[in-house]
Amino acid sequence: MTREELIQKWLDHSLNSEEQKAFEQLEDYKDLMQLNNALHSFKSPEFSVGKNYKALQPNLKKKTTQTWYKPLLKVAAILAICFSVYYYTTTLDSSFNTEIASQTTIDLPDTSEVILNANSNLVFNENHWNDKREVKLDGEAFFKVAKGKKFDVITDNGVVSVLGTQFNVKQRDGYFEVICYEGLVGVKTKDNYTELRPGNGIKIIDGKLFAKEKESTAQPAWLRSESNFTNTPLKHVIKELENYYNIKVVIDKADANRLYTGSFSHKNLDLALQSVTIPLNLSYSKSGTSIVLKRE
Amino acid sequence: MSQPIKDHICEEQLFERLYKKHSKNLHDFLYYKFGDHLNPSDKVQEAFIKLWQNCGKVSPDKAKSFLFTTANNLMLNAVAHRKVVLKYEKLPQKKSTNETPEFVLQEKEYHQKLQKALSKLTEAQRVAFLMNRVEGKKFKEIAALLDISTKAVEKRIYGALKKLREDIDEL
Repeated sequence: MTREELIQKWLDHSLNSEEQKAFEQLEDYKDLMQLNNALHSFKSPEFSVGKNYKALQPNLKKKTTQTWYKPLLKVAAILAICFSVYYYTTTLDSSFNTEIASQTTIDLPDTSEVILNANSNLVFNENHWNDKREVKLDGEAFFKVAKGKKFDVITDNGVVSVLGTQFNVKQRDGYFEVICYEGLVGVKTKDNYTELRPGNGIKIIDGKLFAKEKESTAQPAWLRSESNFTNTPLKHVIKELENYYNIKVVIDKADANRLYTGSFSHKNLDLALQSVTIPLNLSYSKSGTSIVLKRE
Repeated sequence: MSQPIKDHICEEQLFERLYKKHSKNLHDFLYYKFGDHLNPSDKVQEAFIKLWQNCGKVSPDKAKSFLFTTANNLMLNAVAHRKVVLKYEKLPQKKSTNETPEFVLQEKEYHQKLQKALSKLTEAQRVAFLMNRVEGKKFKEIAALLDISTKAVEKRIYGALKKLREDIDEL
């Protein structure tokens, strides 16, 4: 066996005892041994498999919980937030309020116009307007509706539906009145459905239906700063009065259900009080914002 | 023991087995190739974490190659081909020595020469040679680790030995 082969075998740790002896006889055996021994000082530092695996484990745990759907969840959460913000903002209703003794004109998205009377509230949704022309009314308002699809005015007492028209809706506690000035108006209450032609009105007081006389004017009186009443119980007249003047009216020893026919101005409190009290033979006394009505 | 054939290693027991089987070899491979200053054991851990993250894509028989390639790349990223210096680790010195100071000095010189000569070897030679000499691995085992033929390992190791001796004699 040549020297080279012996060294090869030595390198491969595969010398048998005979070859080992031959190898030891090589002239550079001592050199090789010196080299070999010296090499051991270059041994790689101790690598403890068990300890290192323990150190690795916490990192693995973290990875195992991070399963495939985690990033999807993040995306889904962002989408959900975006969608809910979008949904919230687009379905947000526009709301209008009027104070006592004030009026406001509101332009609806389709050029319909609403004049909101004192102490009233109108709510509508601009973004759904194309699907559904619908406003919620609490109080009194005059509508000039642009021609188009069905237009609904929803009140606590009933729904008023129209196609291009002008009409007045008045809804106060226990008092519901609709007057049509132009076009055709459908009024749906709990009990029945009525269609109003121009100049006709409907009035429901405390659940009782009153046929309304023909209306000759082209606009509701309140647009001219007046309130008109025909056979209306006094309590509703007084409530109305409180919508235009910042007062508190108390009826003392007088029948609140007496019917009143007449009108009062929104501009002068004394004149208005006289307009209400004189025809009914009542007197009034004023102290600050408090008014007491008495029988004469 | 025959193992059921799996196409992934997302199973802690299997992963642990792989760790026990390869981590030491991987560490030694990195150490002999790149030296000590880039913290080979950190790279081992990183490579295993990468393996775990990709456990669904790596089959058990590919795991070793994946680990070695990944760790090697991690090292290369860090090393930017810095000059390799293997740490010369002092062997535990005997307190009382009957060796002459001259011999001790010679010994020291020899070590320094050896260190220089080792760093002159190619990476491939050094890895194969030190795995063989220091870790006591046979040609066949090294061939399997490095994915090369036994003949190539033999060549590298023998070449390394020859070159080392020449260099030491020269110095």
